[in-house]
Amino acid sequence: MVAKKLNLKEKYRALTRDLDWDYDYADRKKAFPYEEFEGIKITDWSKWEDPFRLTMDSYWKYQAEKEKKLYAIFDAFSQNNGHLNVTDARYVNAIKLFLTGVSPLEYQAFQGYAHVGRQFGGAGARVACQMQSIDELRHVQTQIHAMSHYNKFFDGFQDWTHMHDRVWYLSVPKSFFDDARSAGPFEFLVAISFSFEYVLTNLLFVPFMSGAAHNGDMATCTFGFSAQSDEARHMTLGLEIIKFLLEQHEDNVPIVQKWIDKWFWRGTRLLALVGMMMDYMLPNKVMSWKEAWEVYFEDAGGALFKDLARYGIRMPKFVETTAKEKEHISHQAWWIFYTHGHAAGFHTWIPSAEEMDWLSEKYPDTFDKYYRPRWELAKEMEDRGERFYTNGLPQLCTTCQIPMGFTEMDNPTQISYRSSDFEGEKYHFCSDGCKHIFDEEPEKYVQSWLPVHQIYQGNCGGADVETVLREYYKMNLGEDNMDFKGSPDEKRWNEWKGKGVA
Amino acid sequence: MSYQVTVEPTGDLVEVEEGQTLLDAALRQGVWLPFACGHGTCGTCKVQVLEGDVDVGAASPFALMDMEREEGVVLACCALPESDLVIEADIDVDPDFAGYQIEDYQAKVVSIEELSPTIKGIRLALDRPMQFQAGQYVNLNLPGVEGSRAFSIANSPANASYVDLHVRLVPEGKGTGWIHQTMKVGDELEVSGPYGQFFVRKTDDKDVIFIAGGSGLSSPLSMISDLLEMGDERQIYLFQGARNLAELYKKSELEALAEQHSNFHYLPALNDALASDDWQGFCGFVHEAASDHFKGRLSGHKAYLCGPPPMIDAAITMLMQGRVFEADIHMEKFLTAADGATADSKSALFKRI
Repeated sequence: MVAKKLNLKEKYRALTRDLDWDYDYADRKKAFPYEEFEGIKITDWSKWEDPFRLTMDSYWKYQAEKEKKLYAIFDAFSQNNGHLNVTDARYVNAIKLFLTGVSPLEYQAFQGYAHVGRQFGGAGARVACQMQSIDELRHVQTQIHAMSHYNKFFDGFQDWTHMHDRVWYLSVPKSFFDDARSAGPFEFLVAISFSFEYVLTNLLFVPFMSGAAHNGDMATCTFGFSAQSDEARHMTLGLEIIKFLLEQHEDNVPIVQKWIDKWFWRGTRLLALVGMMMDYMLPNKVMSWKEAWEVYFEDAGGALFKDLARYGIRMPKFVETTAKEKEHISHQAWWIFYTHGHAAGFHTWIPSAEEMDWLSEKYPDTFDKYYRPRWELAKEMEDRGERFYTNGLPQLCTTCQIPMGFTEMDNPTQISYRSSDFEGEKYHFCSDGCKHIFDEEPEKYVQSWLPVHQIYQGNCGGADVETVLREYYKMNLGEDNMDFKGSPDEKRWNEWKGKGVA
Repeated sequence: MSYQVTVEPTGDLVEVEEGQTLLDAALRQGVWLPFACGHGTCGTCKVQVLEGDVDVGAASPFALMDMEREEGVVLACCALPESDLVIEADIDVDPDFAGYQIEDYQAKVVSIEELSPTIKGIRLALDRPMQFQAGQYVNLNLPGVEGSRAFSIANSPANASYVDLHVRLVPEGKGTGWIHQTMKVGDELEVSGPYGQFFVRKTDDKDVIFIAGGSGLSSPLSMISDLLEMGDERQIYLFQGARNLAELYKKSELEALAEQHSNFHYLPALNDALASDDWQGFCGFVHEAASDHFKGRLSGHKAYLCGPPPMIDAAITMLMQGRVFEADIHMEKFLTAADGATADSKSALFKRI
């Protein structure tokens, strides 16, 4: 009898699951020590549906062609002085934020998937995670290479790994991933593969990549497309993990719901940085943060959660708060950076008159009422030579680590303060969402490395802020920080473009 | 202008309008293809074009490689057909799918029976026997009606020389209107089939639940007859939903069948019984009847759903809350022209439901 030709699914199964082995002399539970402590019940790993069926040989073939294309474009970009084609040197600050804030997360993702890719009892899940881990490593490498060209011409790119580990606002993305990686393997996948890669990824990648495309940044735009072509695998892994957990055992449903609640809120807080980038940092705007939120979360996420409702999963907790926050959050975040521009590793500025008009048009209910007067005041003070910097160190939210500058969403003139007491200490939060996350796991978050606390405790050297910035953060003061106006970046740009000094 | 696309290995047919993408057309017509980003950047929806011409559209060069373009691979989410096509997608062929050849038949109307005030049963004698799987459907070309109309086959495949169809009169429906008002015994029609992925997964030995609403009794009737004729011993539950007693057709036949076969359980439900019906059975929607019977715990069953979209939707939710999931839910949605207009955006969470 002629053997039946295997279809793709059977072939993939034979090439992956059959790599697994039975444990006859070792204890299976000891081999997978992290599989049970989260309370997740897996009754049958064979029910795992491989989210993609790619074997290693074709993986290398595809990735090699992607790399070949990508690096050809990087070369062309650099040989043609591509940095001169960006709309305005202010744009480059968005890329500084990406390299110091987001690229290191790709590296954290590589580490995270490599870790959980060892920890699952099911071979299908292990293979999917290991492959994603290699993707993530490729992403961080291509991003570093894409941006190394900018490092030759602009300030603020030189010490991004060091800065990621230490600088106050970079602790926001860093702690997000530290939180996920220090959780169990199932929570990691719900946090990163589902909540982040599936539900929220379009809100991170689309704004940066379209932002690059709209602002003449071919290198960033191209690595974005190259990375996106890997995202298919990552998104389908996110969907598979959620279905698998929910179908394996009904006791998993409340645990998964709790994780979705937590990681949705953690994600929206992280994305506040993207929101201000879209609304304030891009010289050529793509769409407003509010519009992006409506398209990519409210519409697309709405359809997803409608389907998830069949499993007994509801919309994430505090989703109604985000519907109000989309009107405010980007303005408040950029204000925090503007007032701390002396301590930031990139440049800040006051939106121009045209940019303010664009913001008025995009935020008809809030910008003119709450934010335009503030920027006009800042402009007036700047014109008088009294550019305002906040000299104190901000109080940070213990959960998201963002300075406590966000307001009550029903009253945007009142800063939102929440607090919890735990073992005789008081902890502060920017929102009900962040307080809720702390209250669920206080033992974890009391260990947060909060940059401001660390400075006050003397763990960051220096007797004053300037010394901390210079010696502990390794910022080149007067070059990396302060306003764009008057910066060496601006001066060089004007020289290249043959413009007089403004 | 539209093109016909055959999706291998299942043989599903999709009509794609000029300027419409393959993926959009397939999903709207209930043919699932793998996809994720929907705009040409991720590459999840790669399909191989076997025959015909396609414009690859706005596929990213990173998501669709040069070597793939040369081999005729396209991204379904951006591909625009330029002729009729045969494509091969990364979808599974069900091991229980017999794959009977789809052919055109000449049919003659041999009987028209009033099953209920809104449903007629018609029998079409075919010019030659049609091999089909119980649960599949045929397409009818009706005189003066543009396009074809799909109807599930209600008889068992053991009698392959004719097909019985149950036709509910759709308000303002052209096709069903013609059948109800104009068609007469002796009329000749063109029929093609068999179509569809709705059939009993016999290789799976779980007990089965059928949930039928309106004229959606047709497929389950065929599938149940087939199972019982083959001497299948699994437990078979049929929940049939109707508004009132007059609409609950084939009741006495099914009761008799349940008398004869101890493994067949007939459980009708009326959601709007008239006082004159003197109804002693379950009052409420058919999905509620199923949930009530199994006390909300339905795991360990396979479920087959057949009927109008709102019934299917409610039944899926009920089943999933009772812990029966996508792999064990099979369905045939009876869409009318009015249903297509209100289709919501769909997430990629489920493939078939």
